[in-house]
Amino acid sequence: MAIELVVVTPTGETLSEEVEQVVLPGEAGEFGVLESHERFLTPLRLGPMQIIRSGGTSGGGGSVANSEWAALSEGFAEVDGSRVVVLVDTCLRASEIDREAAEARRVEASDQLAQLPDDEEHAGERARLAVIVARAELELDVAGR
Amino acid sequence: MANLRDIKRRITSVQSTQKITSAMKMVAAAKLRRAQEAIENARPYAVRMRATLEEVSRGPLEEPHPLLTVHEEKRNLEIVAITSDRGLAGGFNSAVIKTVESLIDERTGDFEKVGLTLLGKKAADHFRRHRPRQITFDSAIGGNVTYEQAADTARELARRYAAEELDEVIIVYSEFVSTMTQTPVVSRLLPFTPPETGDASAGRDGGEEEALSYEIEPDPEALLATLVPKAVETEVYRALLENQAGEHAARMTAMESATKNTEDLIESLTLQYNRARQAAITSELVEIVTGAQALE
Repeated sequence: MAIELVVVTPTGETLSEEVEQVVLPGEAGEFGVLESHERFLTPLRLGPMQIIRSGGTSGGGGSVANSEWAALSEGFAEVDGSRVVVLVDTCLRASEIDREAAEARRVEASDQLAQLPDDEEHAGERARLAVIVARAELELDVAGR
Repeated sequence: MANLRDIKRRITSVQSTQKITSAMKMVAAAKLRRAQEAIENARPYAVRMRATLEEVSRGPLEEPHPLLTVHEEKRNLEIVAITSDRGLAGGFNSAVIKTVESLIDERTGDFEKVGLTLLGKKAADHFRRHRPRQITFDSAIGGNVTYEQAADTARELARRYAAEELDEVIIVYSEFVSTMTQTPVVSRLLPFTPPETGDASAGRDGGEEEALSYEIEPDPEALLATLVPKAVETEVYRALLENQAGEHAARMTAMESATKNTEDLIESLTLQYNRARQAAITSELVEIVTGAQALE
């Protein structure tokens, strides 16, 4: 019982493997995808992705599953019975995250955000910084799992 | 007749120029390879993006996405010009700049205001001198192109378009055709045109005939809200990558011919040097012989 997970980012295919289950951060809430899931397309928000690989081959209640976390930025997912294709800007696996760098980015962006006046003119810049902060926080969260 | 030492000095100087140009050529070749890889890596994402966009645009939409809507009033045009940060790449940047200049002349009548978003120092250098008031944003590319950078630019343009500050956005960049050819490309970024849905059923693996082969959750509009801005970001990213590959290719070609020129120059200088040396020896010999004859 497996499903093929493919993660594609603008810098290339970052992941392609058979997994047991994937939990994705859908815009309408987290959702899990198992084999023979109904075909559907949905937007994803910035959030964690959980990849669950089968641990043992035991049929009943084999919860030896090992799981891995990854930080996804927004994008969308295309699911069909045998495959999940995730298209996102970035996908960082927990093991690839540089905590210090993420922390530094979080601090820098939130400092800049605190200094910007909250008005129309700076709306674009504020939104940009808020995304950086949210992304860094997510990375820190995922790295800690 | 040029002095021997002067010729020698020129040869040495041309030789060191040659070292520089051939080193630059090799660096450009290595960078070109990496830039081409980056284009290759971006392809699967772009292809899937387009396929999905096609899929979604096939379904009925209740309200069109703001980035797909054509603005009736034509007030503000924004031209995004992409060049490299550095020169010494032959006519690479001037081709784009020239295209932008003629585009501005052409479109100024249709729009009240033409703004410029400049990526790459070369475009900024030129337009700061010639059209400083029209520049709305400029930035160097700096090192390798990142998706983040493309996304930031695209997001800002999309925000201004959606807010009706802009009525049309055109992007001008060099397309990497081959190592020898890079052509400036003018394409409309906003309003965004979704890919043609033409022979959608023909190219599909199963060849299903349903209107939509995917269930879309929560609804097509929500998906488009994510998809369309992403597609615009991908377009800008692709333009930046093409520009990057084109820059290195153009520099490689330019430096190759520069190296060739230095070779020719060294050859003719060496010939000149040998002739001068021979002439000096001959005249010395003549002096000695005449001196000896005088003593007899």
